[in-house]
Amino acid sequence: MLLPHAQTLAQARSYVAALADRALTLDASSAYERALLELDRVHGDECPALDAEDLADDRDILLAVASNAIEDLESYGIDPLSVELILAMLVDAHDLDIG
Amino acid sequence: MYGENGAQMRTELAALLRQHRIMRRLAEDSSVERAAAGQQILRFRQTVLVWCAQAIGVARPLTFPNVPQKPADPFRAATDHGAAVAELARALEAAREQATTRPASSQEFTTPSANTIVERWRLAARAVALAEHDTAPDQAIHLTAAQARTIAGDVAAISQALVVLDRRYRNTPGWEPIAGCDRLGWAALATALDVSLGQPDYSVDQTGWRPRTKPIGGPARPGVLGVLQAEHNLLVRLAAFPDAMNLRLVVDSQRLLSAGLVPYAERIDPDLAGQWSARAETYSRIQRELRNIGGRLGNGKAAAGEAANAVSRLKALRPETVLEPRMLGGFQTLFRRLDSRITDILESGAERGAFVQRVTVPRLVNGDGRLVHPVRERFVPVARAADLDVIRTAREHLRPREEPSVSSPGASRADLHAALIHRPPAKGAQSDVLDL
Repeated sequence: MLLPHAQTLAQARSYVAALADRALTLDASSAYERALLELDRVHGDECPALDAEDLADDRDILLAVASNAIEDLESYGIDPLSVELILAMLVDAHDLDIG
Repeated sequence: MYGENGAQMRTELAALLRQHRIMRRLAEDSSVERAAAGQQILRFRQTVLVWCAQAIGVARPLTFPNVPQKPADPFRAATDHGAAVAELARALEAAREQATTRPASSQEFTTPSANTIVERWRLAARAVALAEHDTAPDQAIHLTAAQARTIAGDVAAISQALVVLDRRYRNTPGWEPIAGCDRLGWAALATALDVSLGQPDYSVDQTGWRPRTKPIGGPARPGVLGVLQAEHNLLVRLAAFPDAMNLRLVVDSQRLLSAGLVPYAERIDPDLAGQWSARAETYSRIQRELRNIGGRLGNGKAAAGEAANAVSRLKALRPETVLEPRMLGGFQTLFRRLDSRITDILESGAERGAFVQRVTVPRLVNGDGRLVHPVRERFVPVARAADLDVIRTAREHLRPREEPSVSSPGASRADLHAALIHRPPAKGAQSDVLDL
């Protein structure tokens, strides 16, 4: 894993984790958490640490940046289908969140 | 468990001690039948003796005489005077070796007898055979000195009972008295006195062999029972060490399960509902803190599968379902064990390096002569377990508090001691004698 890849992945993980922390219901939080786990699984658990502190509180902004970062992972050789699946999980979780 | 088997043998021996005029009870008039019953009883007694010798051998290294130690004399070999337990062990060993009767076979243990006396001996011998599991050396390594003292006291009481019964059965045709019977009786008495000087620990009753916990197989049980089944299986599967990702899945399932069960518990036990929402909070926190923990050692796929089963079955429950207090109790027991197991997993994982901490900032290494700079480290081992937030949270909030275990001598011990000094009722009370 090269440095830009690691940075993008760290960003994606941080944003998804921030979404899980700020979710209104436990179910939505758990759904975000599973998207995060899927992200880790795709990378074989070789991921840099995340930092979900000091991020925006607006969940729509967080979702947008998280989706962006995950889409960017495609350019580092991550299987496009996996990326799409994670994005779909993220959208499902967001649907749960806004109820 | 030692408690169950010990209580069974003491109960049977106490009942035997209360039976007098043995000849009539063994067989009405036939001397041949009496001899046959006597031989069978001898075999059962030999089994009891074998266990007594084995159990005292296990307890002996952990029991210390209450005699004050004299300063050691370097010019003399160490003397072992005053160690009643050693004397009892020697007497039991001698009795076991000099007996010509063989111990009963397992077929005899399992074949009920029509004669009440033989039947009681059979039950006592069967309990003794089962207790061999409980005092086997692999179990005994967990004993404390106070617990070993309790076992020594139990063996002393049982030996005392054997001596009394041996005297009473002497007129049976073909009877073989215990070798060194008097010595055994006195040694047992001295051991019992020695044990009573200290403070025996009756928590030994909770130790010993237990059947292995197995997963509940088969199709999913309907309703809440299915959730309980999956939760039980999860606990069993967690015996194998899970890797970090599967552990995160399990932790996630536990917070969903705890929070999902709160509305059901609230209708019956608001206190429990409060505890479970606190548990869900704790698991949310642990989940957050586990994100920066990695580790690929272990497996835990089966555990993660059962965890998912539990959550999906809970979600399929109808909201108006009423959970009986028994089921709530079952959940609470499982939750306590799971919490303690997950804390153990976290602690041991951090300690032996199965769990590692992810590195926050990828380091760029300058000047290594290459055009492309790979990220040098992605994980660092945990130096001290207590440095991790997740370990601190688990220690402070997750680990269930130790429940004080109430250990009492139990009725069977007191009953056996009472039966040892029991006297037959006077002749006038005929009905009582017949009753016994």
